[in-house]
Order: sequence, then C-alpha cells, then structure tokens
Amino acid sequence: MAKTRCTDQVILNLWHPLAALSEVKPNVVVDTILLEERLSYAVDGKGNAAVWRDRADLIEGSTVDVATVADQLPVKHAYGYIWTSLGDPQADLFPIPEFDEADRRRLNAATIGVNVSAPRAIENFLDMGHFPYVHTDILGAEPHTEVKEYDVEISVDRDEILATRCRFFQPMAAATASGGADVDYVYRVPHPFCSVLYKSSPLDESRRDVIAVFLQPIDQEHVRAHMMLCLLDEDNEDKVIKRFQQTIFGQDKPILENQFPKRLPLDPRAETPIRADKSAIAYRRWLSQKGVTYGVIPAAT
Amino acid sequence: MITLYDYELSGNCYKLRLLMSMLGVDYKTVPIDFYPGREHKSEWFLKINPLGQLPVIDDDGLVLRDAQAILVYLASKYDPSGTWYPRDEAALLGEISQWLAFADGITGTASAARLHDALFYDFDVEAARVGAHRLFRILDEHLWFGEQEGRIWLCSAAHPTIADIACFPYIMLSEEGGIPRQDYPAIRRWCDRVKRLKGFMVMSGVFPAGPAKAA
Amino acid sequence: MLDTAKTRWHPIAASYDLPFRHVFHGQLLGREFAVWRADDGYINVWENRCLHRGVRLSIGINDGRELKCQYHGWRYSNRTAGCTYIPAHPADAPARTITNRTFAAVERYGLVWSAEEPQGEVPELPGFAEGELLTLRGIAVNAPADAVAARLRSYRFQPTGQIDGSDAKVTVEAANDFSVALRAVEGSSTTLAVFFVQPVDSNRSVIRGVLEGRAEGAVRMAVLHHHNDRLSKLRDVVEREAVARPAPAPLEPVIERVSPELAEMPEETKHGRKATIRVEVARKWQAADGIAGFELRPIRGLLPTFQPGAHIDVHMPNGLIRQYSITNGPGESESYVIGVKLEKESKGGSICMHETLRQGDVLAISEPRNNFPLRRDAVKTIFIAGGIGITPLIAMAQALHNQNLAFDLHYFAQNEAQLAFPEKTSGLGGALKPHLGLTPEATGAKLREILANYQPGRHLYLCGPGPMLEAARNVATEAGWPEAAVHFEYFKNTNKIDDSSSFEVALARSCVTLKVPAGRTILDVMREAGVDMPSSCEQGACGTCLATVIEGEPDHQDVYLNDAERKSGTKIMTCVSRAKSARLVLDL
Repeated sequence: MAKTRCTDQVILNLWHPLAALSEVKPNVVVDTILLEERLSYAVDGKGNAAVWRDRADLIEGSTVDVATVADQLPVKHAYGYIWTSLGDPQADLFPIPEFDEADRRRLNAATIGVNVSAPRAIENFLDMGHFPYVHTDILGAEPHTEVKEYDVEISVDRDEILATRCRFFQPMAAATASGGADVDYVYRVPHPFCSVLYKSSPLDESRRDVIAVFLQPIDQEHVRAHMMLCLLDEDNEDKVIKRFQQTIFGQDKPILENQFPKRLPLDPRAETPIRADKSAIAYRRWLSQKGVTYGVIPAAT
Repeated sequence: MITLYDYELSGNCYKLRLLMSMLGVDYKTVPIDFYPGREHKSEWFLKINPLGQLPVIDDDGLVLRDAQAILVYLASKYDPSGTWYPRDEAALLGEISQWLAFADGITGTASAARLHDALFYDFDVEAARVGAHRLFRILDEHLWFGEQEGRIWLCSAAHPTIADIACFPYIMLSEEGGIPRQDYPAIRRWCDRVKRLKGFMVMSGVFPAGPAKAA
Repeated sequence: MLDTAKTRWHPIAASYDLPFRHVFHGQLLGREFAVWRADDGYINVWENRCLHRGVRLSIGINDGRELKCQYHGWRYSNRTAGCTYIPAHPADAPARTITNRTFAAVERYGLVWSAEEPQGEVPELPGFAEGELLTLRGIAVNAPADAVAARLRSYRFQPTGQIDGSDAKVTVEAANDFSVALRAVEGSSTTLAVFFVQPVDSNRSVIRGVLEGRAEGAVRMAVLHHHNDRLSKLRDVVEREAVARPAPAPLEPVIERVSPELAEMPEETKHGRKATIRVEVARKWQAADGIAGFELRPIRGLLPTFQPGAHIDVHMPNGLIRQYSITNGPGESESYVIGVKLEKESKGGSICMHETLRQGDVLAISEPRNNFPLRRDAVKTIFIAGGIGITPLIAMAQALHNQNLAFDLHYFAQNEAQLAFPEKTSGLGGALKPHLGLTPEATGAKLREILANYQPGRHLYLCGPGPMLEAARNVATEAGWPEAAVHFEYFKNTNKIDDSSSFEVALARSCVTLKVPAGRTILDVMREAGVDMPSSCEQGACGTCLATVIEGEPDHQDVYLNDAERKSGTKIMTCVSRAKSARLVLDL
C-alpha cells in the first residue's frame, strides 16, 4: 500500500465521504482530495461506484467503466454519499435508522469547502450558544441566550457521543406559532468527523428531523462539508430546504474560518469551556482517548 | 411587484437585496438552486437569462439581468431622494460607472476565488487572489485619501451611491476566497460605514456592525 | 536575519486607524492583535482571540465600552480585557479571571506603539513635537522588514516646502534594522522624515512614515500623495526582490494557556479570592442630599474587571469594613465610583466615609465580588430602587441600556434632591421613573401598580431598605412573579441574630468536625481551624460566605437566600446562620 501523508491510523481506517451520489454524472471521472491524497471516483448508471488513487490514464472528465478500474479503494454507499477509506475500514458505517423511514425526504443540501479543520467544524455543529449571535432571528434571538442544562454521555457500546435534553429558544419555532419557543435537539457524534442532529419536527411532535454533517478532510485545515437532510417536510420544494440549510451553514462559515488555531486544541488549558460546552468537552476527550492526531493539536503528554 | 431570482450565497444577488432594503422597496424572491443544482443553467432559466447568470429581476414584465445594471435601474426608479444614482450629475454618474466596472473586476477576482474555495469551481485561484489584492490596494489608497479629504464614500458625493453597494459584497466575502483584508485598513473602516447605513441587512458570511458613537 | 526581539517597541497602527467603534486588525512579529479605541479614548491592544473558542476578536463589535465576540456574544471590558458577561449562562457572574491577554499601547507621533514585553520607552524623535508633524499613509509590503528598511536608506523625496521640485538632496541621518531617518534639502527647504518598518510577520511589513513640521490644505495633500506614490514604487521594487527569494516560514507566536482553574468547567457558582487593592480617593462630592460620591482610582496598574451588581469591601481608616456597590457603567474601568449614604445611626462606617475621608486619601479595597448578578436574557427587566439602593441598579441599568435591552428603573426617594448620581441616570432616557415623597401606603400602591401583570420572561431586581424590600417581594409574590424571577439585595441585615445555639459542623471535603458554641459563628470557627472561606459583610446580607449543606437542618438568619433556597435546606450563610439539628455537614 502506498505511503500516506496522514499518519493517523485511527483516521486512515475510517470511512470518509467523497460526494453526494445525486451530484455525480454517470461514468465520468471526478477528482477529489482526501487526507491530502489525490483520488478519483466514478459511478455507473446502476449506482456502482469506484474510487481509486489519481492516475494519469484516467483524467478528470473522461468516461470510464467503473467495473474495469484496477486497484480500487474500499467503497460504500451510505446516506446518499460515496464513502471510501485509505486504510482497513470496519464493515459497517455508523447507523442512522431514520434514513430508511419511507415517508422522509432525503437530500444533499450542499457540499461546501471550508478553510477549517474537521474537528472545529464538528464542535460548531454541536454548539447551541451561538444561535442568537450567528443565526440571528433564525435559530435564536437575543435576549434569549441561555443554554439550559443538558446531558452528555459517551456511549461505550456504540462508541459515540450523545447529547440529549438539549433545548434552545427559537424565534418563529413553528410555522403556526407566532411567537418563539424552545426547540428540542439531540446530537450524536458517531464518527470523529461526522455528526447527526435530531431536531423536533414542527409537523409531528413524536418525530424528529435529521440533519447530518459529514466532513471530508482535505487536509488538516480544510474540509469539504457534506450536508445531509432527512426531513418530514412535505410542503417545501427541495430548493427551498437547501436554501435554508445553506443560509445557516454560510453563517457559520466566517466564524469557522476565523478560528485560531485552525486545528482543534485538545489541551484542556488551550481554551475556556463553560457548562454549555459539555458536549464539546466530551468530544475533545473522546478524540484524545481515541488517539486522534489529524486535524487536532494533541495535548502534551 | 419586483421578483428577484435569487441565490442566498451570491454576493451579486445580495447587493440587490441590500439596495432594495435601503430603499424600502418590496420584492419577492424566487430561490434558484445555483449550487449544487445549477438551476441557473437549466433550460427554463436560460430562457429568462441566456447568459445563465444570477441575478435577474422581473419588475412587472421588465426583465433585467446583471447586478450592476439592475442597481442602476432600481436606484433610478425607486429612490425618491435621487442620491443613490443622481441622474442629473454628469461627473458623479461617470464616477459611479467607473466604480461599477471596478465592482465587476472584484467579482472576477475575489468572487472567483471564493467560488473556487467554497463551491469547487475550476478557476486559477492564485491568479484570482493576486488580481483581488491588486484591486484592493487601489481601493484602500482611494479610500484613505478620501478620509484625509473628508470624503467617506467611493464617489466624491457626501452620500453613498450604488457604487458603494456594488463593491461591498464581494469585498466583505473575500476571506472565503483566501483573501484577507488585514492590509487594507481603510477598506475595513469603509465596510463599517456601509454596515451602519439605514436599512442595511446581512447575508450569510456578513456580520452586522454595532451602533456608531452618538455625535 | 529578522530581529524578533519581543522587547523592542514597534508601531502597530496609526492613530487614524482607530476611529471610535471600530476594531483594527493588527499584527506584530506574527502575533495578531485586535486593537480598538474605547469611547473614553483608551486604546486596547489585545490578543486577537476570544478565550472561549479562539475566534478572532477583530471581527467582533466595539460598542464603545466593551468588545463583543461575534461567536457567542462574550463581552470583554475596556482596559482590563476581563470578561463581564457570558450570555449562555445569564444567571452566573463570569469568573473575573477570564481575562484576555493585553499588550502595551502608547500613542505617539500619530502612531500606536506596542511590544510583547516592552523595555524602556518608545523611541524618542528629537525635534518631533506632537501636533507639529505629519503621519503618512502606512504602506503594507510583502517583504521582510529588514529588507524594506535597507531599501528605505536610498528612498528619495522632496522637502515639504519644495514638494514640486525634483532634485532634493537626501541624506541618511540615522538607520537601524527597523527605522531610517532621512533629511531632504532643496534650496532653503528642509524636511526630516523618519520611517519605521513594522515587522508584521517574517515576510510582511508596514512602512509607517512621520514627517517633521505641519502642512495644511492642498500642500498637506500634495505631500501625502508625494510620499504615497514614492513609497508604493519602493514597495513594488522590494516585493519583486522578495518574490525572487524563498519566503521565510511565518513566525509562530506562542499562545499562552489559560489558567488551570479555567480549564475545568466551572460549577454553577464560584467565589472570588480575598485580595486587597490600594486606591486613592480621586474625587469626593455630594452625589445627592445625604449621599457622598467617591471616585476610587488605583494607585498602580488597572482595577480588576467588575460586573454590574458587584460590590467591594472598603477598609476604612478607622478599621471598619463596609460594602459598597460599584455604580460604573460597562467599560468604565479607570476608577470605581461608589455612593455612601450618611446613616443616622451610623456605627462609624458612613460617618468616617462622609467626614474623615478626603480627596487624595488612600484606601484599601477588596476585589469586586458579584453576588447580585444581572441576567440579560429578560424580555424586560424591572429595577426597583429605594434610596441608596439605587447604587447596584445604576450599574445594571447602564449595562442593559448599552446593549439596547428593555428595562424600567423605578427609583423611590423622599424628594428630588435625594436622587443620586443624576449624571448617570440622566443618560438612561425615559427608562428612569422617579417616585418621590410617597408614604408607605402610597409606596405599596405604586409597587402593586408596577408589578401588576407579570409576564413570562420578565425579571425583577430590588435593592433598598429592608421594609421596602419586604413589601416589594410580597407584592411580587401576590402578583404572580415566580421566585426565580425576583432578585434582591439587602444592604444590611436588620434581623436580630440569635446565636444562642451550639452544634457540630462537619466539613466533608476537609474531613474535620468542629464545635460551634453559643456566641460564635460557623465562619469564625472554620477560620480558626484554618479553613479559608471568603466573606464580606459578615451579617448575612451579601452572599459571599455561602456554603452548600449536605446533611442537617440549617437555622437561617440571613437576608440573602430566597424562600426556595431556604426551604431546600441545601445552602447556608456561614456568617450568621446556624443549625437546628445537632450536626451540619457542609460541602467544604
């Protein structure tokens, strides 16, 4: 196997997302970068995908029969995306059971490049305190700034972080309600560079919309963020839903790109946590315990 | 009623939303899935704008494309104060046109770099960044000397014009294309001034300013 | 090789870069700064990083008094850079030690100077008088500072008096790695120019030039253009040379770690440490009938960051210690202003403040403590002050006013002359609502009117004499205000303390058991046993010596805890309260 620039075995052995299947033209070679390695991929008309290390005889834009490509990397379809690995991945990717519920809308809101490390972007995804300041009048509004107590656990059997009982005041919380109300959230981090958010559905009190961010690390300080939506919405056009999600993500982007250092510091004394940051603290500890070094500044030992 | 064919993350669409907000003009938007859907290249949209570009407005049947052209139209028609595009002041109109062209230059460089970094457009990003820095140096110098002479907007009038609106968005978004504004302190101050204009609104990627000091 | 000494003063900005309500993005030797001028003129040079999540503060908001981070709205005070408010936890006072790193700032020759660890003074420019010089436009150059400085030695320009001439003779009067002094002479005209080269990073610089003598009008503009054109040409030459060489690696400044206590998630409440600060009475005046105002300035350095609602202990010349609320608005960090009412039955505290203390006297004060924190997440806040109880509420009202949050300040007093600090309250606009000369009955009726129609999201803050506070709390309860929305501060405890009981106190974490006999307090006994406990008023009013009860039944005698806190039996004020059970176990 070729030597990789990334030496973090934990990260090398993970599945990483490359592209939304819905955005790929059949049988055409597309180039991308994963962990500083140049890769190419293609999907045929039946949905069979191939991923391989970039090579001169298969240049971007050329037509290819995916079955004939030699020296393929591991490949998987999941949640509407093509995934691959540069190491020895586990057979299965983390589960999102709601994805298979028949009445849900499933779409890729966008894949957007961000000048930040993957862990910084995950931490932002887990954060509620910034809603009134960054997503003003959409996900939050002053003076309703309190992050109420919530619960965080690191689930040992599933090897993921779970934050429950999260609530935050949202103006215009439901289409029918004129005023704001607390909205419930559940956050999962089942993969060092992926997170899944469950948000109470305005349509059905007993069920939740699912919004996930799957980060493709280009290098230690750049990602492609793939945003997956799996919603109960029956009314809105896809493009209206995408617009909302891109608006939110576009608001986070300048914050992420102005964080310094870009890699996430795991030294507890690098930054100042507050109680609202419980889930971020759990995430940093979890990365430390796993021995993740890519995209982070490991704590001095 | 004006209809704006709009994409939230587009600075060129934003400049129209910004001017309409400042003028207090009502409008509705038709969201276009510019990315990833490339709806602006779809057959139906090409009938509206054969160039396949955003923004486009439809004002009671008058269909216009090109952000700078639409700014001229909106200010000419909907600005009762006549200050955003003063039709009777030849010299000022010349200045405004000069900066509208400059704004196109910013779109061709700073916006291109941003499209490359954020939406993976296949552009020569280094050339785009070099080009943006060249324009920003010229602009910073212009604004600094303006401050020294008591001129705080792009053109020599005592009030802002559509030239300021045209240049603002892709300057404000330049960092998303890897073009920091740290070396352009006069541009940074001018950005604060634009943000404090009455009716100012933000887009994703642009933060509001705090209130100015009471005089 | 670039000299990266941290001790050398460098210009990091020009004065014109720092208009009010702006944040300048500075950098020196790789280290980024957020530089901002507060409305009081003070120039803050801070590490360009919010301590919370590392977001650049140069994208934050300068509101004239504080700098607000764009990410989570954390607010940092003018001068001290101490965090004054964390919106995610509106009920808590942030630990005073959450303080951003600050750097020296000296404004001279139209430039702002700084250094990481400055030694000595900012360079002296003989013959350059403030106001008699011209600061040129800074020219950013993508090249190392030493290369720029070397090239500047051969810079050619015209003296100000012959700006349209063409053959001035230019000589180097002095030069080093970061500055060059040049004199241009043509005919009888001569101009001395000094160019400082700010090392932004290993491969980036800014040329900051200063000319002797003043120029006005068109001549001034011509001179500014003359140098701008020539320096830009010089920049182009240096940049071409720099591109031809391999770029040096960027400098990597070390970011200091936060203190170990900040690395842990704080508990829900947290006490400050005991410390004393020496201050001078910079001003003493009559703030109202019977109320003296004192402005206390630090003898050395800066005063600690305070939050609205905070008080200080004042150690008086006669040995007494009294608590006074800080009345300052946000960002007013140069001095503390307190108000002291002359009490008819003064035990020597207010008499000493009123009669003995004079301008110029030196006092010891404690660090500010905040046991009366202000939430800023209310839809509307109602403040009710009685008499001198206005002092903490003035600070709170100014904080909300600065953030444009809705509030009313009801101020009960005997007459207009007794309304204290009019210079502060007048800035609050229509929110100030004085109620003058009311009888106790009329006061009760007015309170019922003010507190009628409780709506969720409102918060009430009360401070004043005991009977009025009791009345207001009762009215609020009747009007449906939940206890969690009613916040109060008694300035003294008028309850008669019964200290006749004797009991045992076990300190769970210290593993000691102490006997508290009749006539002594838990606090006294703990201190005697070497257990440190902060305290302030020591009469059950201020909340500083609060402890958590693990076991046993407290005998509450304070006025600090609210009814719910009392009933829960989990908190105790150790300075006055005692035990009904034979044994109390405290979490200490």
